[in-house]
Amino acid sequence: MEIIEWLQFLLGSALLVLGLVIFLIQMVGVFRFKYVLNRMHAAAMGDTLGIGCCLLGLIVVSGFSFTSLKLLLVIIFLWFSSPVSSHLIARLEVTTDEEKEHHYKQQEITADGAVVTRVPRAEEDKDGTVF
Amino acid sequence: MENRIPVLEQAYEVVFVTALVILAVFLMLSLIRAIIGPRVADRIVAINMMGTQTLAIIAILAVMKHEGYLVDICLIYAMTSFLAVIVLSKVYMGVYRQRKEERARQEKQKEERGYGDH
Repeated sequence: MEIIEWLQFLLGSALLVLGLVIFLIQMVGVFRFKYVLNRMHAAAMGDTLGIGCCLLGLIVVSGFSFTSLKLLLVIIFLWFSSPVSSHLIARLEVTTDEEKEHHYKQQEITADGAVVTRVPRAEEDKDGTVF
Repeated sequence: MENRIPVLEQAYEVVFVTALVILAVFLMLSLIRAIIGPRVADRIVAINMMGTQTLAIIAILAVMKHEGYLVDICLIYAMTSFLAVIVLSKVYMGVYRQRKEERARQEKQKEERGYGDH
C-alpha cells in the first residue's frame, strides 16, 4: 500500500507543478505582449489549462472522495465560463477601441465587391505598438 | 486522505506551501498588471486572472488542511468572479455608449451655435 501512496504523491505533485508552470507562462505572456487582444490569449491559457492541471493534481492527491467530485465540478464550471468571459472582454475591447487602425489589420468589403485592407500604421504609433 | 507515513506528510506540506507562495507572487504580479494596464479591457483581464489564481489557492488550502467545505467556497468563488467579469464588461460598454452620445450631442450644439454667429 505504501507504494501506491508514494505514486499518488508523485503524480499529484507533478500535475500541481505543471499547473504552476502554465501559470508562469501566462504571467510572462501577459507582461510581454503589447496589446489587450494579444494578452488575452495568454491569460485564457492559464484560466483553463493552468487551473485544470492544478485541480487535477489535487484530485489525485485527495483520492476517491466527495472533495474530488466537487473539484471536478469546479473544473467543468471553469471550462464553460472562461470562453464566455473571454468573448465578452474581446467584444468590449473591439467596441470601445477608438483607434483601431493603430492596433490591428482591418478588411472591409465595399458595395462593388472589392476588398479594402487597412494595415496598422506601426510607425505612427507613439506607445510602440508593433505587429 | 490520512497519511500514516510521516515522511510523506512532510513532503505534502513542502509541496503545498511552495505552491501557495508561488501563487501569491503571481497574484501580486497580476495586481501590478491591473494597475499599469493602459486600457479597461487590460484591467478586466487582470482581474479575471487574479480570480483564477485565488481559486487555485483556496483549492490547495482545502486539500492541505483536510477541510472539504473549502471546496464549496471555491465553487462559489468561481461563479462570483465569472459574474464580476460579465457585469464589469457590460457596465463599461454602457458607460462608453453614454459618453459617445454625450460627445455627439455637444458637437452638434457647438455646430448650431457656430451657424447662429454667422
